[in-house]
Amino acid sequence: MLWRWLIFVWIAATMVVALLSAPLVPVLQETTRVLYFHIPSAWVTVLALGWSMINSMLYLIRRDLRNDDHAAAAAELGLVFCVVATVTGSIWAKSMWGSWWNWDPRETSIFFVLLIYGAYLALRASIEGEEKRARLSAIYSILAFVAVPPLMFVVPRIYSTLHPDPIINGSGKIDMDPMIRWCFFSMLLGFTFLYTWLQSLRVRVSRLERRLAT
Amino acid sequence: MSNGTSSSMATVWAILRKECRSEWRTRYGLNAAVLFAVTSLTAVTFAAGRMPDQPEMLSALLWITLLFAALSSMSHAFVREMEGRTLLMLRLVASPTEIAVGKLLFNLLFLCVVEAITVPLFMVLTGAPPLRLPQFLTILGLGTLSLAASSTLVGAVIAQTRSRGALFAAVSLPLLLPVLASGVSGTRAQWDGMPIASDARLLAAYAVALFGVSLLLYDHLWED
Repeated sequence: MLWRWLIFVWIAATMVVALLSAPLVPVLQETTRVLYFHIPSAWVTVLALGWSMINSMLYLIRRDLRNDDHAAAAAELGLVFCVVATVTGSIWAKSMWGSWWNWDPRETSIFFVLLIYGAYLALRASIEGEEKRARLSAIYSILAFVAVPPLMFVVPRIYSTLHPDPIINGSGKIDMDPMIRWCFFSMLLGFTFLYTWLQSLRVRVSRLERRLAT
Repeated sequence: MSNGTSSSMATVWAILRKECRSEWRTRYGLNAAVLFAVTSLTAVTFAAGRMPDQPEMLSALLWITLLFAALSSMSHAFVREMEGRTLLMLRLVASPTEIAVGKLLFNLLFLCVVEAITVPLFMVLTGAPPLRLPQFLTILGLGTLSLAASSTLVGAVIAQTRSRGALFAAVSLPLLLPVLASGVSGTRAQWDGMPIASDARLLAAYAVALFGVSLLLYDHLWED
């Protein structure tokens, strides 16, 4: 109960500091600020989809429906954060590249991730019976996660993209102003906790739904 | 151990032969796929005309035609078992992995036949420039492997859902988009005389990952 407010205050405070007092990166200018939303959402996307995959594996091993709740909730939330990353990226692209959508390799690959997990939810909806749904969606979720690392990390490094260098770039160090770095990591932490809270909420809802259904 | 391996090889071989035979008796899947490929090729070349000097259009059209022709009938391998209520019988004589590997090999063979018909026809109808065969076959082969691996697993999953075949293309296609993207880019590169190494590497990595994960997951396809 208390830590929910802590997350809120933490993110709000970071946002204020990030928007008012952190310096701007020379080339990016005012668009620097999107970084505090865009990268944390992309990070949470990978985290959530990974968590979905881990829980799917656990389900196949242990056959415990609680793992399936976690896998489904994580896939839904991963999709939500993926939409946030896509939209913030698109807004940034409008001001930097001059168009909302340009099929840059980065844009393409994140769009593929959106479609794959959209298909996961469509698949879930079409299976009758809890255990069958859990088992079959776990299989698809594990298969789907095979596509995530290549799309999120490999494609942008193979094909030439206009996207700014990822945080973990070729030189292996983080080239950021200390103030920006501080705000960025604080936001990353805030988003991670936000995701954990939403995840626990979603899992509790599915548990209640199941209890009502039986 | 070697005895067990050879007996499961024999089972896989038997399933492959059974698949080929039952496909040959009706030719339902093959007819659908080839007819689909031919009609969509006709539609495309009629609408867009011959375009010998546009490799970027040609590679996109080739891959879209191949992918959709394959997806139009590849869920058939498992849906047929569900509709004929023969899956239980099959499971009495073989383990899930043996069944799935047998179907996987059949799907590979099926794709090769569809491609052997579609690609030459595509070349003739669109007037495409000659292919650089080693490069083209590398890209096509790796794409085929990924396509077979993902459609075997997804096909087995889809056969157990409410809608059976209907959802198959919708659920498979997103997983195959990376294959489509690098397949198109590699095919264009071989027409342009550029190196295909990066596309081939990506396709190979994706195919290997799909295969590895599939092999681990086959055991969970059916509940006892």
